[in-house]
Amino acid sequence: MKQVAAIAYYEMVHILKDKILLLLVFAVPLLYASLCGLVYFSGILTDIPLAVVDLDDSRLSREVVEAFENSPHFQVVPGIDTYAGLEKGMKEGTVRAGVVIPEDFEAIITQHRNTEVLTVYDASNLIWGFNIRKYTLEVISTFNARYTATYLAGLGLTEREISNALNNVRSNIEVWYNPTYSYANYILMGLYMIIIQQIGLLCVSLTITREKEKNSWLQYLCSPVAAWKIFLGKSLPYFLTNLMNYGLLLCFARSVVLVKVEGSTLLILLLGLLYSITITSAGFYLSLWAANSLQVTRYLLLLSAPFFMISGYCWPPTHIPEFINNTARLVPLTWMAEASRLVTVKNLGAPYLVDNILALTVMALVSTFFALTFSKRRNPPAPGGLEVDCGNSYPKRD
Amino acid sequence: MQNKVVSSMLRQCLAVMRREVYYLWRDKGLRKILLAGSLLGLLVFYATYSAQVLKGIPTAIVDLDCSRESRQLVEDISNTENLKVVANPGSFAEVEELIQRGEVVVGVVIPENYAKSVSLRRQVNLAVIIDGSNMIYATNAANTVLAITGTINAQAGIKTLIAGGMHPDQAREAFSSVTFREEPWFNPTLNYAYFLVLALALNVWQQCCMLTACMNIIGETGRKSWSLLKAAGVSKFMFFFSKSIVQIALFILTVLPVYYLSFNVFKLPLACSFWVFLLFTLAFALALHATGTLVSSFSRNAVNSTRFGMIIAVPSFILCGYTWPLEAMPQIVQQAAWVLPQTWFFQGINYLTFKDPGWTFMAPFFSALLVIAVLSYTAAALIASRS
Amino acid sequence: MEPVVRVTDLVQKIGKRIILDGVNLEVYKGECFGLFGLRGAGKTALLHILAGIDRFRSGRVEVLGYDARKSERFKHRLGLVTQEKSLFQDLRAAENLDFLTALKNASRENCYRVIERFQLTDYLKLPVTALEAGVYQRLALACALLNEPELLLGDDLFQSIDPASRHIILRELREYLACGGTCILSFNNMDAYSKTDLYSIISRVGWLEQGRLTVYQPGEAREQWEDRLKSFAEQSGELHA
Repeated sequence: MKQVAAIAYYEMVHILKDKILLLLVFAVPLLYASLCGLVYFSGILTDIPLAVVDLDDSRLSREVVEAFENSPHFQVVPGIDTYAGLEKGMKEGTVRAGVVIPEDFEAIITQHRNTEVLTVYDASNLIWGFNIRKYTLEVISTFNARYTATYLAGLGLTEREISNALNNVRSNIEVWYNPTYSYANYILMGLYMIIIQQIGLLCVSLTITREKEKNSWLQYLCSPVAAWKIFLGKSLPYFLTNLMNYGLLLCFARSVVLVKVEGSTLLILLLGLLYSITITSAGFYLSLWAANSLQVTRYLLLLSAPFFMISGYCWPPTHIPEFINNTARLVPLTWMAEASRLVTVKNLGAPYLVDNILALTVMALVSTFFALTFSKRRNPPAPGGLEVDCGNSYPKRD
Repeated sequence: MQNKVVSSMLRQCLAVMRREVYYLWRDKGLRKILLAGSLLGLLVFYATYSAQVLKGIPTAIVDLDCSRESRQLVEDISNTENLKVVANPGSFAEVEELIQRGEVVVGVVIPENYAKSVSLRRQVNLAVIIDGSNMIYATNAANTVLAITGTINAQAGIKTLIAGGMHPDQAREAFSSVTFREEPWFNPTLNYAYFLVLALALNVWQQCCMLTACMNIIGETGRKSWSLLKAAGVSKFMFFFSKSIVQIALFILTVLPVYYLSFNVFKLPLACSFWVFLLFTLAFALALHATGTLVSSFSRNAVNSTRFGMIIAVPSFILCGYTWPLEAMPQIVQQAAWVLPQTWFFQGINYLTFKDPGWTFMAPFFSALLVIAVLSYTAAALIASRS
Repeated sequence: MEPVVRVTDLVQKIGKRIILDGVNLEVYKGECFGLFGLRGAGKTALLHILAGIDRFRSGRVEVLGYDARKSERFKHRLGLVTQEKSLFQDLRAAENLDFLTALKNASRENCYRVIERFQLTDYLKLPVTALEAGVYQRLALACALLNEPELLLGDDLFQSIDPASRHIILRELREYLACGGTCILSFNNMDAYSKTDLYSIISRVGWLEQGRLTVYQPGEAREQWEDRLKSFAEQSGELHA
């Protein structure tokens, strides 16, 4: 145990001395978390620039316009009063949605002939697209109810009769877990999990490459210290800081970005524990294999975006081909991101997370097994020769 | 005399360029990343989004009434394009369970006395539950549900009015005289693959390019051979200029297969002309390369340079507003985001691929990228010449 | 007597290049074996195999009675000074000693003893990167001796170091040998070696060339070297001058 403690102590000393590593371990996760938090802080699209092209300018058309004006989600952009103007605004992104009321709209309606109001929205960004569509439908449904009520009142029906007609079959739409459709509630936790995974892997995967580059890895190899002790000592500081960052990010999400973080603390802790173990031992093992710090850094950072996209956290796995889903299942993030949503957003208990906990446990066990039992014999490094950056070194100006 | 100087400089340039090609080729890690990275990214993302549109949202319907009317309602819901009824559980609790398990996203419960209440014109409540935890699913589900329930509500209302003695035409008019037609512009099928795949692949591409650019200066000054080059009296400007030309050419070369696959094989939309799009890509490649070069000029070693470069390149996609719109971010983030070349690029490609707003509108995008390039190259040159 | 090191038909390749091509060697207790070879001859490769660091292609290597391919147990009784600097560069001298004491499971007393014997007290607070070559080498040897090894592997111990340090190192080596230790020391400069005290402590010299090891008595090795120099000189006609 003395040996493990000594290795862990001197790893910590190194982290404190290496300024960039220190930042990576203690500041970068929070920095990225703050950045994402800031970006998604509002979480809900409001004041969507809307152009109203009212070619009729009648009482009825003004009612339609009013319905849109009254929606808290839209902000009418003044000065656009032709279809061409709407087209231009949509192309240049100054408006994201439009309502076009045709000429003689009211006259046609009073004559009981068909006419229609055109609503358009910008689907080039589907975050805009989906949300605007929803808001528009909401406005239309409110408008229709009011129109029908007025119409029926005009026919002399009593309020009770009108209400009966309008509400005969009423739908109570309940949106669970994220009733405001907040984008922050939806995406932030997954992003935080990938921050934890990638930065965690990056830090711990430099621990052996660093020793290899400075040749001191030989000291470990020729010492009578067991492989598992090297692993435990080297990864302990990273495991602890990883766990700390995990907690920190969750607290940050909850109390600063104000996203929904519910669920049992014990379960959250268990997941964090399994996740940290997996990341730390996988990173350590990666470090044993990697040629040098430069290559690890390149590959790890590059993989962040693809890992996130295939995880099924954003685009639902039901609509992703099975071979991609199967690949994604090999990445801890896939399980962890889903688990974090189930616990923190959906507030579910352990019975709903059996698969995730099982998968993460298997991953933790397998990666720890390989890390604990690595061979203390290395393949002798090939002399650099013409291959740039594949040996134990990389360009530096020291 | 003058000719001789020029030709010797040209020869030197060519020699440096040739060596740069060898260097990039022999850096095995970088070679794999550059050759395969963005293409692999494109294929993976295209496969991920191969469903393209979010139809068939898993839905559960509980019919507690089991009447002719309620069965009709179930059928109406099942026939909607976007919903796919995957379960017919027997109770509300089972729907709850299915939603909690994530097996369905929408749950509809038709109450016991549905047919009776409708015929007696008593108010009856359909319970609709939507799982809001995945926003893409939830908004799509909500839109479909809003449309259906609107129709159901109107149909029931019309029946009520007719039963109350109103003329059928009048009853129908009460509910549907104002029709609203919706038109999603630029991406009429709401195709998610059109929206994201190319951008995600280009995001991988710009990260690969950043990795290369981050080696530009430190890749030389960090090597022992640097003193040889200095001793040989090669002009630093000429040297890095030649290197940069090779790197930028390589960036464009690696993006070409991505574009070919995207537009010719996967048929992703491109509103503007291909050459304009390529020119815009070139402008971005310059700006990106300049940023990477700047980073490589002040870093002490290649690892740090790579880290700094990637600290910019990795979160830039989140910051650029391609997905979650810039307008919805806090003012300070919006302003900061425009400093990054990636923001100009990704905003620009959204306009170019979907809208083609014309030269006058795109001019600021081109100029901004060129200004970033000039500023970064200048700063890099100043730093490199001082050290 | 059972040898401390027994190497049979050892083959090592790095990439496609053959570094060691059937090396046979036995080193006995109390012996100081000199390993000579020019740069790139494979001395470091051989020592790293003996220290249980590198994998090798084929052959059999026994160190202190254990199979060097698998066992870790002989490392308790082994010390290695590497050719390239391999102490922890981000730590001070004292921290290196402290850390390696822990890694080698050595005792505190030994640590204090080597500090004293190698006269390192004044340098303890300095970062190892700030140490002069001679002091660094003293520290490296002190670290290698922390666990009182039975076998000491010294890879180019005397590379361009100051006379004072050289003197201390030689003194400690003699002391180590006198107490029954065994060592293998590599060197790449036969001329320098012949003129120093190192010559006096080495009992046999193994000459590593083109992957093969030939063992000589110290005098023989020197004569071989001089013969070779002479023949080159004759070829270029310098001798007539």
